[in-house]
Amino acid sequence: MKLSDVLETTKREPHCGLCKIDFLGTGVCAAGKKHGFVAYWPEGRMELARALAENEVEPTETLIDIVDSCNLCGVCDRQCYFITQRRPTQAQHALKDYVKTLKPNALKRVPEDDVVKDLRAIVGTDWATNDPIIIASYLRSIIKQKSSGKYYIVMPKTTDEIVAIVRLANKYKIPYLPRGNGTFFGVALQTLLAEPATIEQGIIIDLWRMKDLHVDPETITATIGPGVTSFELQKAAHAHKLRANVAEAESCVCANAQNLGIVTTWSNTYGWGTDNFIDAEYIDSTGTIQHLSDKDIPNPYASEQGLLSLSLIPSVIITKLTLKLHEILDDEEAVFIPFTTLPEALDLAHELAKRNIGISLAVLSRKYLTEFISPTHEIAEDFNYIAEKYLKLNYVVDVICDTQSKKIIEELAEVSFGHAMLKSLILGSSKLASMKDSSLLKMIAEEENPLKAVFGGPMREHFEKGLANSPQELAKVFPEDLRDFFEKLYSKPELTDPVWLHSFRILPCRMERKHMWMYRGGYMPGDKKTILKVVDALEKPAQMYHIDGEFGFLSYLERGKLAHLEYDYYYDHTDPEARKRVNKAIVESWRRQFAIKGVTPLEFICSKGLHRKEHILYPFLPGLSEEELEHFEELIETLFGGEDTW
Amino acid sequence: MVKYLSKEWAELAKKKVLTELDKARDLKNMNTSLLNVIQNVPPDNKTMYFYIKFIEGNLEELITGSDESIKQKDAEITATGDYTTFVQISSGQMSSAMALLKNRLKMTNKMKALTITKPIDTFNGCIKGIQTEY
Repeated sequence: MKLSDVLETTKREPHCGLCKIDFLGTGVCAAGKKHGFVAYWPEGRMELARALAENEVEPTETLIDIVDSCNLCGVCDRQCYFITQRRPTQAQHALKDYVKTLKPNALKRVPEDDVVKDLRAIVGTDWATNDPIIIASYLRSIIKQKSSGKYYIVMPKTTDEIVAIVRLANKYKIPYLPRGNGTFFGVALQTLLAEPATIEQGIIIDLWRMKDLHVDPETITATIGPGVTSFELQKAAHAHKLRANVAEAESCVCANAQNLGIVTTWSNTYGWGTDNFIDAEYIDSTGTIQHLSDKDIPNPYASEQGLLSLSLIPSVIITKLTLKLHEILDDEEAVFIPFTTLPEALDLAHELAKRNIGISLAVLSRKYLTEFISPTHEIAEDFNYIAEKYLKLNYVVDVICDTQSKKIIEELAEVSFGHAMLKSLILGSSKLASMKDSSLLKMIAEEENPLKAVFGGPMREHFEKGLANSPQELAKVFPEDLRDFFEKLYSKPELTDPVWLHSFRILPCRMERKHMWMYRGGYMPGDKKTILKVVDALEKPAQMYHIDGEFGFLSYLERGKLAHLEYDYYYDHTDPEARKRVNKAIVESWRRQFAIKGVTPLEFICSKGLHRKEHILYPFLPGLSEEELEHFEELIETLFGGEDTW
Repeated sequence: MVKYLSKEWAELAKKKVLTELDKARDLKNMNTSLLNVIQNVPPDNKTMYFYIKFIEGNLEELITGSDESIKQKDAEITATGDYTTFVQISSGQMSSAMALLKNRLKMTNKMKALTITKPIDTFNGCIKGIQTEY
């Protein structure tokens, strides 16, 4: 197998980083666990295969070690197929065949320079490198593609080592940038945000080794190092019947907390930003250790607002974070209330937020619902089609609550469904997809209220039974060699348990199965009028530049006074023309959002996650004037050049 | 070749701006004063200052040095950053706006700075043409 044979797959590698966590109970890549550098993980092998195929890097002696360290055990195929329908072992086979074609003298030796010698003196020989082949595995997930800068990768284990690394960078006058699991970079680096989000040369501080994790059930807190992922923290918290408010499973909690303040459906009760933290230890640009709780530091929460507050690179490196955890109630249940229109869904969700109902509360799009719960993208597309055309199901108010709240919701909502129906939809999704354009669905569509007919009326039982919901049935959609594994996997109760899925968040990266996405949206006043204006401000640029734009989800803060909205632009990030169009749509969406009072686009929250929302979101800024918008356009031109250069 | 931030460099920069840039077309008749505080200047990591003042697009002052009196000048905008960052800006490798986004510059009065983004970028584009020893 040639590298070019797998190029279509490796080019589309989204760098989600899920292969680094044991989210399916399969274990993780042994070579990755041993060596740490991204190059030794399935994600990095895919990137290496791409970079070699596209002649962006030349092989070095280390390539042999990387290739030989994979024993083709197939764990990564199970993990990756579950999420993105890709099979990293194909890239590994291609790499093994590729190295066989190399003459011994084709492999470059990489001499140590002074910087890497000094880095190795800090962290040990195995944990710092200037080897281009290892550096290439970080392309498109923290290093810009085709960057000509000189880079180093270092993997510290302790806070003191990071202090020494920062001081070393200052001594050599080179920039440095910490990397969690690279999930934010994986998305941002495909767009015009690549330049401001990265460094043009210098030291990449990969924090993967810093996995200290301690749950204190007495104070209901957890103290973690910067290498701990959301999944790992949640698992540790659940062992004590506690829950952490965390982002997607693969994201590193400290990086996510610092960067975006942790945006979740649980923010309805758990809050955002400093609502979630007790204390943080961090290292400033001089290499000094500080704590949020230090009495002598300047107000750490003071923050600028508006369009000049954009800063995509954090000014400090978090090395320890103490977070609040939350008790899990015995009677938590999921309730889903389906809607045809967004205003109807917003009315109910806002009513619930105002009444403080829903530990987790969100308005979810049809796109998210169908993509997350379907085992393949093709099934998701069929499910999406059926939901829109026949069921008239476009939005779901998605609630996790206690029994008492459930009763109130069921009184307020005309129709709802819960765990059992969701399980049927997950396990029966392939059957449902096969019913596309069936007479049963046509009959349902003719009902006055198809949603009521399916989820609340007498047809509910037929519909549920018709889905033939069994793990065995579902496993048929997977490649033959993976079927046994997926049948066992889907037999696990948590894989169809909405409360577990909301806590552990292992499904969102399924959004990346077909195309890359770019999140849009941000924070805004929680009233329906503003939210609909923002949706329009995000939808219009997508239409203007022929981008597939879709509402993602909306969650509330502070009993509905504030809302967070995610709207996504889906595009083929391997197509330069599509990237140009998405960049234009991003700029246009900023312009339109800034014209609306009180709206802060998500990028403008970046690097402010350790702040109080009160300092960032209040007071509601007036929308920018025409004159200010003109200056904004000049700023964009200065930053990114003219439209044709994006 | 002149040394970056030296008196000779400042003289050349002033001459270049006055002869090459049009106060209306390039400098948008801007009224502003900007103090750049350049930290960790080699070889002894001292702090230097680079002050510019424009009235109606005319370059009234362009001063460099480590004299504290420059720091005391009444500047509308102050930009503080490391020597390497200012080298990148003055040599055209990075715009000051990008340095701000990358958290390499601290700036006061950003709203005013927004209104002069374009002419300041043009100014930096002009002085990058000086044969400079960094």
